[in-house]
Amino acid sequence: MNVLRPLRVLVFACLTAVPLVALAVEPDSSWEEVLEEARGQTVWFNAWGGSDRINAYLDWAATEIEREHGVTLKHVKIGDIAEIVAQLDAAKAAGRDSDGKVDLMWVNGENFAALKRGDMLWGAFADMLPNASLVKDSPSVLYDFSVPVDGLESPWGGAQLVLINDMATVPEPPRSASELLAFVEEGGRFVYPAPPAFHGTTFLKQVLYELTGDRDALAKPADAADFDDVTAPLWEYLDRLHPQLRGEGRTWPVNGEATRQMLDDGEVDIALSFNPNEASAAVRSGQLPESVRTYVFDQGTIGNTHFVAIPWNASADAGAMVVANFLLSPEAQSRKADPEYWGDPTVLDMSQLDASARDAFESIDLGPWALPIGSGSVLPEPHASWAGALESEWLTRYAP
Amino acid sequence: MMSRAHNGLPGVALLVASCFLAPLMLGVFGTIWQAGSGDGLRAAITRLFSDPRLGPALNLTLFTGVVSSTLVVALTVVILVSAHGTRVWRALMAALPPLLAVPHAAIAVGIAFLLAPSGWILRWFSPWLTGFDRPPVAWTVPDASGWSLVIGLVIKETPFLVLACAAQLRSLDVDAALRIGRTLGYSPARSWSRLILPRLWPRVRLTFLVILAFNLAVVDMAILLGPGHPPTLAVWLVQLVSDPATRTLASTGALLLAILVALVAISVLMIEALLGHVAAARRRNGQRGHGFASARVLGQGVALIVMVMGMLSLVVLPLWSLARRWRFPDAWPSQWTLDHWVRRAGSILDPSLSTIGFAVLTAVLAVVAGIIWLEAERRGRMPRIDTLWYLPLLIPQTALLFGWQVAAIWSGVEGSWWLVLHAHWFYALPYVVLILASSWRELDPRWAHAAATLGAGYWKTLWRIRLPLLAGPVAQAAAVAASVSVAQYLPTLLLGAGRQATLATELVAGQGGMDRRSMSTLAVLQSLLPLLAFAAAVAWQGKRRMAASVNRA
Repeated sequence: MNVLRPLRVLVFACLTAVPLVALAVEPDSSWEEVLEEARGQTVWFNAWGGSDRINAYLDWAATEIEREHGVTLKHVKIGDIAEIVAQLDAAKAAGRDSDGKVDLMWVNGENFAALKRGDMLWGAFADMLPNASLVKDSPSVLYDFSVPVDGLESPWGGAQLVLINDMATVPEPPRSASELLAFVEEGGRFVYPAPPAFHGTTFLKQVLYELTGDRDALAKPADAADFDDVTAPLWEYLDRLHPQLRGEGRTWPVNGEATRQMLDDGEVDIALSFNPNEASAAVRSGQLPESVRTYVFDQGTIGNTHFVAIPWNASADAGAMVVANFLLSPEAQSRKADPEYWGDPTVLDMSQLDASARDAFESIDLGPWALPIGSGSVLPEPHASWAGALESEWLTRYAP
Repeated sequence: MMSRAHNGLPGVALLVASCFLAPLMLGVFGTIWQAGSGDGLRAAITRLFSDPRLGPALNLTLFTGVVSSTLVVALTVVILVSAHGTRVWRALMAALPPLLAVPHAAIAVGIAFLLAPSGWILRWFSPWLTGFDRPPVAWTVPDASGWSLVIGLVIKETPFLVLACAAQLRSLDVDAALRIGRTLGYSPARSWSRLILPRLWPRVRLTFLVILAFNLAVVDMAILLGPGHPPTLAVWLVQLVSDPATRTLASTGALLLAILVALVAISVLMIEALLGHVAAARRRNGQRGHGFASARVLGQGVALIVMVMGMLSLVVLPLWSLARRWRFPDAWPSQWTLDHWVRRAGSILDPSLSTIGFAVLTAVLAVVAGIIWLEAERRGRMPRIDTLWYLPLLIPQTALLFGWQVAAIWSGVEGSWWLVLHAHWFYALPYVVLILASSWRELDPRWAHAAATLGAGYWKTLWRIRLPLLAGPVAQAAAVAASVSVAQYLPTLLLGAGRQATLATELVAGQGGMDRRSMSTLAVLQSLLPLLAFAAAVAWQGKRRMAASVNRA
């Protein structure tokens, strides 16, 4: 009989431990309500965890957010956010509409499109954030890979595909997709990450953009175009490129960071990055030699904006809004833009900032290693549907 | 009085057994259930076999698993025959236990740094010997064929088999066998193959099958050293299970992997029977041989290479973690820094603390559970279930954990720390029981009888007599349990739902992308924890032995 007593105590403890159910905020609740409800919440932020610098930046953000708002930010380090989209999709199908495991997620492009299509986003919270008024008015903030954002995700940073070369070994790197092919055929060392890693997918889009005869088709959904016809030059190109790559098209780096390591090791001559300032940050931390430079192809390279979004079944909506707002603050954005910490281009409009905030941005020293400002134009992302179509075709052809 | 003090024992032992058997049943049946949860098992099997990714993954798995296991046996035999009783053997006995303790993931990270075209080995010989100013392009690590993974498995598993053999050789009286062989005119090599190995093999057969099952089903090392396109079957299944839409496929594949392991194990037993006949015939043909000396040196060289490779892959880790600049072809870093330790302290600390937490709790709980079970077994309250303890080591982790994960998701407990702890305990307990069992069963019962005669109750006898007498094995078991916990990747990942970050999950997640210096800090920490646990166990045993000798004097 005595055995039952601890058991009863346990059951009682479990029942009382259930958190008090708070009144949930809505996307358009007043900011005071949001702050109040957010206090004490834990926000599970599912974000790509492959970069030390980004992870360290989020550690810093977590400390600040805890101190300023009493919100605990937990970074769940994800390999590919598409996995989380798939899990949310399953939760949606199973009708699990509350107590979700994801409060905030780092997305853009086809993953955002999938979330929006599946009605898996919480609501138009982004424009309600106090710091939303500071955001630069640009097409890629309003349209994510041609899909209207509609306030369902909040912008976080800008990105552009860039190439990094070492002047000591390759003083005159190739400046277009076709020059790149000639470069590897003459013994130049290169490899790109295997799609669906986004550096790899973006490399495919870049080559496609340069070589296809029908660029207009890329702005429209992939199934509206004659896929084989539009993409034929891409596959022809890759068929010639792959045997010359590091690993002969049989082994692939996992992501852009891996190509940076290979550049430092001398296993490749050109690294790919999605961050114009990455080389600057890497040189400072000793990951690349001082002789590296960043450049883009002459015709320009693919660029986009990345966002944070709140799933419909998030457990801590208010906390997630507080985090999204903090990530947009001049304080957080200027630290993020500094290659010392991350070096991710800001989404804020300098003219909207007060003098001290502007100073914080202007005092950032990018050094000679980053992409020189104003060099090379930004090419638009193809419609979100192209990524999936290109990835599955690539996998069928080259990695069955 | 004595009987009342421990009358709860069968109950607690039953609890231990159910905590161990529940995941086993839940895992296997959960996986089977999930495989059939779509349109039935038959449809799932059809879907699996029509998937174009299966064939390449299966080939790669068989290649890496069978080749590495064969090499492990071959190298072990070479090492035993050529080195046993020599100085090299004593060096091996000192160097191999740490290699065994260090987790696969940490070793894999080191091996990649060692063997890459821009790796440490080539840096020593470049450019003065090789002429390479830049790394060669002839190979990559990981490579597409799976050789990097094979080498990693061989370096990690050979010490396991050699040490298992060494433990058995003590009771086989090798010197006497060699003496008899010599008297009859057989060379030492023939004495080994005719007199010793046939008696040794049955005693380490199960250990070899554990190694074989591990090599076929390993996930963490296959992610770090295996090819990605295609990956091995186990790695592909883990990719599939992360997407709810392909979980059925993943579970069907996990069953296939379990069947594959069983089939390969049966083939091994058949080959063993065949070799047995051949060996028996050869034993009777009476041929003598000579000319062993040069082969012996060669064999000792092989032993040293395996040992040195393993140790170098550990030594390179702290070097990289302290390097600021270290480019090809420099043999040593050109600039040093503490940045990767100091600046990343915040992000290293959390996973380190949870790793330590899981390791300590696992060690305590597994040792307590092991003692409870063996006590109940000793008093005849529980049957001996030695075969069952081997099951978690023989069934591929994917086949067990996919089902366990289904149950966890269904009941809403996925992601909780105690579930992860349960899984660590589940995988540590078999080692603990197997380590403790022999000493527990062999302990002279007269000690307890004497204590009882002097009026000591059950608990007093256990606490003052049995446990102190068995302190050595208990400390060793605790150290092994801790190191098993530190190495757990897949259970932490799947049952922790990404929320329980340990050094193992951080390290494997950083594969390819994370800065090499940061990978090294994680790998150093991950290897340091088990090494410390073993050093503590050894030091404690040493202290006790010294205290005992002082008392005797």
